[in-house]
Amino acid sequence: MATVNRLDPAQSELQPPSEQAREQLLIVEGVARSFGETKALVAADLAVATGEIHALIGENGSGKSTLIKILSGVIPPASGNLLWSGRAAKFSNPRDVQADGIATVFQETLVVPELSVRDNVYIGTDGLFRYGRRKRDEVTGASAAIRALGIDQLDLDRPAWTLSLAERQLVTIARAIVRPWRLLILDEGTSALDASQRDRVFDYLRSKRTEGKSVLFTSHRMDEVFDLADRITVLRMGRTVSSYPVGDASQHQVLVDMSGRESVEDLEAAAEHASDAGAGEGGLAHGAVLRVEDLVLRHGASPISLELRRGEILGVAGLEGQGQVEFVECLCALRRATSGRVLSIDNEGHGAAIHSYADANRHGIRYVPRDRRHEGMFAPLSVFDNFAMALWSKLNVFGVLKRNEAKRRYREYSDASHLVAGSKGRSVSTLSGGNQQKILLGRWVAMNPRTLVLNDPLRGVDVRTREDLYQYFRSLASNGIAIVFLSTEIIELLRLTERIAVFHEGHLHALLESKKATDTNVVAAMFGRDPEHHADA
Amino acid sequence: MPDSTLTVPANSAHLRAPVRRLFARHSYAAVPFVITVGLFVVNLVVQPAFVYLSNLGSSMAVLFPILLTGMALTLPVLSGNGGIDLSVGPLAGFVTVFVSAILMPAGIRAPELVIPIVIVFGLLSGAVNGVLIGYVRLPPIIATLGMYLFWEGLGTQVQPEAGGQVPGWLIGINGSYGPVPGLLIVVAIVVVVWSLIARTAYLRNLLAIGGDERAAFSAGINVAAVRVMTYALTGALACLAGLMLAGLIQSGDGTVGPPYTISAITAVALGGISLAGGRGGMLGGALGGMALFLIQELLTAGHVSVYAVSVADGIILIIALALNGTLEFLRRRRSVRLGPQQPMVLVQPEELGGFNVETS
Repeated sequence: MATVNRLDPAQSELQPPSEQAREQLLIVEGVARSFGETKALVAADLAVATGEIHALIGENGSGKSTLIKILSGVIPPASGNLLWSGRAAKFSNPRDVQADGIATVFQETLVVPELSVRDNVYIGTDGLFRYGRRKRDEVTGASAAIRALGIDQLDLDRPAWTLSLAERQLVTIARAIVRPWRLLILDEGTSALDASQRDRVFDYLRSKRTEGKSVLFTSHRMDEVFDLADRITVLRMGRTVSSYPVGDASQHQVLVDMSGRESVEDLEAAAEHASDAGAGEGGLAHGAVLRVEDLVLRHGASPISLELRRGEILGVAGLEGQGQVEFVECLCALRRATSGRVLSIDNEGHGAAIHSYADANRHGIRYVPRDRRHEGMFAPLSVFDNFAMALWSKLNVFGVLKRNEAKRRYREYSDASHLVAGSKGRSVSTLSGGNQQKILLGRWVAMNPRTLVLNDPLRGVDVRTREDLYQYFRSLASNGIAIVFLSTEIIELLRLTERIAVFHEGHLHALLESKKATDTNVVAAMFGRDPEHHADA
Repeated sequence: MPDSTLTVPANSAHLRAPVRRLFARHSYAAVPFVITVGLFVVNLVVQPAFVYLSNLGSSMAVLFPILLTGMALTLPVLSGNGGIDLSVGPLAGFVTVFVSAILMPAGIRAPELVIPIVIVFGLLSGAVNGVLIGYVRLPPIIATLGMYLFWEGLGTQVQPEAGGQVPGWLIGINGSYGPVPGLLIVVAIVVVVWSLIARTAYLRNLLAIGGDERAAFSAGINVAAVRVMTYALTGALACLAGLMLAGLIQSGDGTVGPPYTISAITAVALGGISLAGGRGGMLGGALGGMALFLIQELLTAGHVSVYAVSVADGIILIIALALNGTLEFLRRRRSVRLGPQQPMVLVQPEELGGFNVETS
């Protein structure tokens, strides 16, 4: 079993000899944290040296943000050790952590809309009644910080809600750097900035490195990581898988580490399944069912045009917040695009624009949301009621429900999808995540959809149920239903889909043929690289 | 670029002068201000006797409990996250009982004793709300409903109907000390104390947790401590309202408080304060209380029955809330249409074609 794990968690405290000369400012050992059933962090190890710029990278859901929240005192770790400048530290709340010298810029631009720029920079530095510093000092401090970050002019009295997203992000960075920091953490902290502003922020970080201050940052831009970092630590599925000085790692190696392809056999298996997926749809007329015309997801993003064919499974991928969720929401008109349109194509080839969710439903476009608990399930109701919820609009005679017909369809569906629900009268909230997902899916399948838009449908679904659902998706597709399948798991996309649309910064960055692509190609595209350059030999 | 000086870009000229800045900060109060002035004028026209000096004292005596409970409720609403204190009315009502049935029999009647005791009592009882909400994390509406029932029950248990005596100076507040009306002194004290508090970091902390609790917490604000202080100050203001109420009814009465909770909520809504928190200020609560009082004066002058006044209050509350929501919507939409919240990306001019598709 050839693995690429280079950092055995048990040996994490052993640094290479060259590193020992440098004082370690922060050491994280075996930190774990779960949210309910989800294991966000399993065993994270990290060592940040004094005067080092350290990149923490990984795919969505690899645990980066969880680790950063722990290091910022926002959430406590469940287990593991944290050493701050040589001593065990508690990291119990943001206030204490900041007093120790860790300042964080969070992924979400956390500004208080009604407060001024100056107030937003200095909130949290006060006591309950006592200001941390005089107003005059705040004015000079805030304007100096903002200038250091590359904005020459920003009225400190403007309320934050009048600022652009980029300006808000700069305000949150300013908030961090006016504190007496020794470690600055940026969790996607420059994602809203344009290239020239980002460069000025990076210049600032480099200048601080020479003063012996450390930076820990996450980024979805690979060039940024290699440009800025001294050292890279890769997280995958809540574990630290590797850590190396930036000079020792190729971009390709980093992408391989992140994508989690553990052996050559895995890759071959994935490729095989990918061709399986392609095999199921022979013999169908490949007419288009949905056409996307010049869809612009965000101001300034390039327009997207593509066609979805009958019986096709289209994968949708991208790192967090790169536009892929907006895209699938635009397909069923849950969200309005900046410009462009989505057309439903009927069997004669005529297109009709989709303007509203009701339109989408009328044209047989059915959406299964990501957050099944809040956007999909009716938790107190039974399995059967959840299944039949949408069906009643069809199955009634002057308002009297045709329960027997609905029951028949339920039996049909539960056989086809291998639904294990026990009795159909039991409360849906007692089902496992996978079976809940089957019920949600069944609600729309029973309505004879033409297109199913699935937003990360297999999140939190166990492996066996996944296999069932893969089979079921394929059988749906072979019956002519087009499926748009958003997933964060690349292997899954490669196995199940025919094409994968990879989003980056609001653009459709690449449209890959699943048969030919490898997981490394997909990861490269997710990070905004040219997928072809990372093709496996 | 010169160092250490504040540069002001041209695009924020509307905020340049300090006076305008002051207005910008209190912009939420513009509509309530206009409403209050308008109602005042209408009152003048309908019943000119309204402002006679001889009537002023009794008018203000009626106004004050409404005004102070409205101001008291402003703080928890500003603190966001469903912040509200339903117990302000019953707590004010209980203070009348506290003074007449507990302090008076104990021989405590001098203002220099009664006022501090009542204020401390208010801070402590408010802090109980604050701990339940900030640390135990109960929803504010439930925690303070519990305290509402507690104070109402305790007050009526001790004094189920008007009775007992209150110190003479408390009744005398409605008169005047020499040429100065007593209530004006109370106004002055409240204004001075609040502007002192507003100059501290507390107000910034309050608006921060009300505006975005996650931002406030992650920036290092002790959110729970700010909450406790907020509800404690609310309790103190409610108890001050209770003292005024005792002076007005000249006795203690456990049943007199609860309606003031409703009037306080109406006052806050009329005062342009966002019920979502983080936007507004004490001026709003005060203006709202005054507007509500002026409406009631007008209805009383028109010999409208008490029940019809209640109907009017209900309608006013709903209109005020709808108006708040509409104004907030318009303000936000204006900001969206100006487009500053979009990411700053380099856009080719020809790509700007679809810029306003959403609104067309």
